[in-house]
Amino acid sequence: MDRHITTFPAPQTGKISLVVAPRAVVGSLMTILATLALRGQVTVIDSGNCFDAYTLARALRVHTHQIDAALKRVLLSRAFTCYQVLAMLAELPMDDTPVIVLDLLSTFLDESVNLNKRLRLLDSSLNLLRRISQDAPVAIWARTRTSAVASEDQRLLLPLLEIANDIWELQAPETPIHQLPLF
Amino acid sequence: MPEFTGWLLDLFEDPREGLVLYFIDEQGPRWRLWHSFPVTFYALGEGAQLRALWQNLGSRPHEISLSRTQRMDVFKRRPVSALGVTVKNPYEARKIFQQTANRFPNLEYADADLQISLRFASDTGAFPLARCRVVADEVHQLIEIKVLEDAWTLKPQPIPLRVMTLTPDVAPHHAVPRSLLVEVAGETYRFDLATPRPLLANLRALIQRHDPDLLLTDYGDTWLLPQLLHNSDKYHIPLGLNREPGRGTRWQEERTYFSYGQIVYRGQQIHLFGRCHIDRQNAVLWKDYALEGTIEVSRVTALPLQTAARVSPGTGISSIEMLTALREGILVPWQKQQAEMLKPAADLFSADQGGLVYQPKIGVHKNVAEIDFVSLYPAIMVHFNISPETILPDPAGDNLVPALGLSIDASHEGLIPKALRPLLEKRIEIKKHLASAPPWDPYRKSFKNRSSALKWLLVTCFGYLGYKNARFGRIEAHQAVTAYGREALLRAKEAAEDLGYEVIQLYVDGLWVQHPEKTQPEEIQPLLLEIQGRTGLPISLDGIYRWVVFVGSRQNKQRPVANRYFGVFQDGTLKVRGIDARRHDSTPFVSEAQMHLLELLANVHNPESALPEAIAFLKSRLRALRNGEVRLADLLVRQRLGRKMEAYRTLPPAARAVQQLNTVGKTLRPGQRVPFLYTLGKPGVLAWDLPQKPDPRTVDVARYQRLLLRAAGIVLESWGLDEEKLTKKVITELSQLQLPPPSQQHPLEHRRDIPGVINPAVQRALKGQPQ
Amino acid sequence: MGRTLPSATQLMHQEEAALARFRRALRRGDQLVFDDLFTAAQKHISATAYAAHALPFETFLMAMLLEEHKEVMRLREIVATLESMHA
Repeated sequence: MDRHITTFPAPQTGKISLVVAPRAVVGSLMTILATLALRGQVTVIDSGNCFDAYTLARALRVHTHQIDAALKRVLLSRAFTCYQVLAMLAELPMDDTPVIVLDLLSTFLDESVNLNKRLRLLDSSLNLLRRISQDAPVAIWARTRTSAVASEDQRLLLPLLEIANDIWELQAPETPIHQLPLF
Repeated sequence: MPEFTGWLLDLFEDPREGLVLYFIDEQGPRWRLWHSFPVTFYALGEGAQLRALWQNLGSRPHEISLSRTQRMDVFKRRPVSALGVTVKNPYEARKIFQQTANRFPNLEYADADLQISLRFASDTGAFPLARCRVVADEVHQLIEIKVLEDAWTLKPQPIPLRVMTLTPDVAPHHAVPRSLLVEVAGETYRFDLATPRPLLANLRALIQRHDPDLLLTDYGDTWLLPQLLHNSDKYHIPLGLNREPGRGTRWQEERTYFSYGQIVYRGQQIHLFGRCHIDRQNAVLWKDYALEGTIEVSRVTALPLQTAARVSPGTGISSIEMLTALREGILVPWQKQQAEMLKPAADLFSADQGGLVYQPKIGVHKNVAEIDFVSLYPAIMVHFNISPETILPDPAGDNLVPALGLSIDASHEGLIPKALRPLLEKRIEIKKHLASAPPWDPYRKSFKNRSSALKWLLVTCFGYLGYKNARFGRIEAHQAVTAYGREALLRAKEAAEDLGYEVIQLYVDGLWVQHPEKTQPEEIQPLLLEIQGRTGLPISLDGIYRWVVFVGSRQNKQRPVANRYFGVFQDGTLKVRGIDARRHDSTPFVSEAQMHLLELLANVHNPESALPEAIAFLKSRLRALRNGEVRLADLLVRQRLGRKMEAYRTLPPAARAVQQLNTVGKTLRPGQRVPFLYTLGKPGVLAWDLPQKPDPRTVDVARYQRLLLRAAGIVLESWGLDEEKLTKKVITELSQLQLPPPSQQHPLEHRRDIPGVINPAVQRALKGQPQ
Repeated sequence: MGRTLPSATQLMHQEEAALARFRRALRRGDQLVFDDLFTAAQKHISATAYAAHALPFETFLMAMLLEEHKEVMRLREIVATLESMHA
């Protein structure tokens, strides 16, 4: 997974970057996060309870002794339900701090909430992300699942594919990346 | 004009009269009163949407009235504008709310899906099973209700409940029941289930004659009542289960859900109107606290008795919180949940932790005092005012939470502390009474049950605080509680060490300490006072062990674990945790034997002197096992299936048993325990609930032998007799006895090697070879 | 619920895994001594958890050193006793 870091461009303001990849990509994402944290503040919204703080710490340590200072610049909020994702995004200050969203769809797969309701919440969340991306770089990771409710997965992924400007899809660690056609 | 003192038994919505209430008059009669009881829910959000909603609902003035108002939002910590929708008939409220929410999905709602009993309790103070003074008019409309005993009364007047018990003669999933036993007013009746008509007619007559308030059944939800209702329909013999005329029973579907890492199964539920039905086999914690505990839950949560019996403690706590919010005029959010505050990742390392747990030293320790904080987490919530709205992201404020970069607003009591305080205080009071009450005190059993019910609610409230779907959950509050908990425990440890104690073990809310010169309870008091002074939290002495043994993990004996231990207090009582005697899945043959060994050790002052008797006992149990004298029911193992069948790659014993049940058409859901025996050969198990009776000769005696010796080894190891030594002592000597020859050829005799039998000595014995 | 970080014990296993190649190249006898060091670290796992370091390996080393020093102190006492017996 590591060699893909160099091929991910840093997220840019005005764009929403989308990475579609399996769970193993978390390590690489933490490495990217480390790079951003060394430069300045980053906001992370963890929608899949997958934030790997120790890997982030180790990635920072490669570059500096002052990992605590860098760790203080990573602002984290964990959302455990899709309602919390929307509430979180609504409360985000509108500045130029880059925003990384981890495993966005995980909370939207909760079957105890009606699918239409979830699609509505996802829609509202994506609208907020679009507004945020006008001032700050935004990157979203959508996790590909092997088992899962395949059709729901796809229905939830579609709005993401529509809103993203750059899409990177990773099948498995050793497969080279390729770009999906933009919608 | 009825006017009486009595208890509120049941209440529910009615299409014509609004709210119907059933009362037990202390003089004897049962009353049915009614009252129109409008209920209000709130809509919040963007102005244009609210105006559209106003237009839409404003066209039905006979059903709905609207108002603009301000209500307290607990998370925003200030009042907010809200549109109040008051539905005149509470029976219509749910439907109207659903329609509204569907038509205006972008608005937020509050106070929307609340149990009517909560609303009634908030409005009038009268909770289910409250003792009240009631006044009604000539048409039985409720005029006035005044609560005489609040939910926190220590010794409430006992309710003269008329109870009718219905039990099948055998558990329906094990065999087909043949008769139904009915107990009422001190008499027992037996009805033949094979003749439904007389059964129905007799049952109806009994219900009419005795007019019970509560039907207490076994398997009533999942088997008995569905069957009775079906037959009642079929043969056109109405049963009159409800007191309320013209109503069917209320059914609720069965559910399987995931909770705290376990799969939980809830059977379907059948609720009555005007009368209560509780199925003891489907009531969540019945074994823990029976009817008295359930009544306690109903009173403090304001949930009707039938509901209180079936809901988990989490729902109970949620109910208490919602009731408190209603009383304080705080909005109860419908679906919205509070997100975690943005915090530096650096803070996660110290915030995302549980309680402190030491690794104990494996082995035996003498004269150890166990001291525990009393309801630590709830006490912390109340004492330090931890509530979703009192947590501030202010690393520089007053009342800093240890190591978390958060502070607490102590200016007013938070919602959660307000809700928990009476619960906590009552539990502490009951515990005090229990501690000082003599064994023959008539209140003792009731106190124990009620204390247990309160304990369950308190134990759940902490988890509920951090639960993602909780109405008033907030993860920071949850983190603050554990942070204070760790700080309290460390201060307790420091106090102990400052006073010369050694800390043998530390576990979330308690510690085990040892001092060479302090071995009596009075001598420990100064330590307790010191800890209370340093932490501000109540702590008590659980007891002083003559000796306590910490046991290693099941997989690896050398690895210390915190929750497997056993010991004897100075008063001779045993405390046992985590080993076979306490596990739900262990077989009675083993757990009873282990318990007996523990008792042998507890009854003497010097455990070593009990060893000869222990060995003799083991030999006699093994002899009984070999001779087929042990009841098969005592050899049952009861395990839960942790996952769905398809998820297993190799089937564990429990899954193999479930497969056997499936082939005869019986199904078990994940989460239900399946009882089975270990048998010789493949598949190595035999499910208990199969139609044919098991052959005692197929029991895998060697396996049960091993289980017994392993369990015995755990207990006796500290005095020199581990499993290996025990096996040598007990098995070898046994085989030197002349065992009677088997009366028939063993069914697997033709096999040279017997699969499943590992112990070579036992193999040889089964093959009839010399040892 | 609401727990994101792995437990201290899991962290310890991760560190052991990170040293797997180092361990493999050791002589068998030395491997057992190596394992002993981690058993020592397990004894103080609650202190590692409470310390809440972003890089916890140092706390494992401290735990190993602590147990090592305990053993040294114990042996010193024994040696002193033996010396006095032979004096």
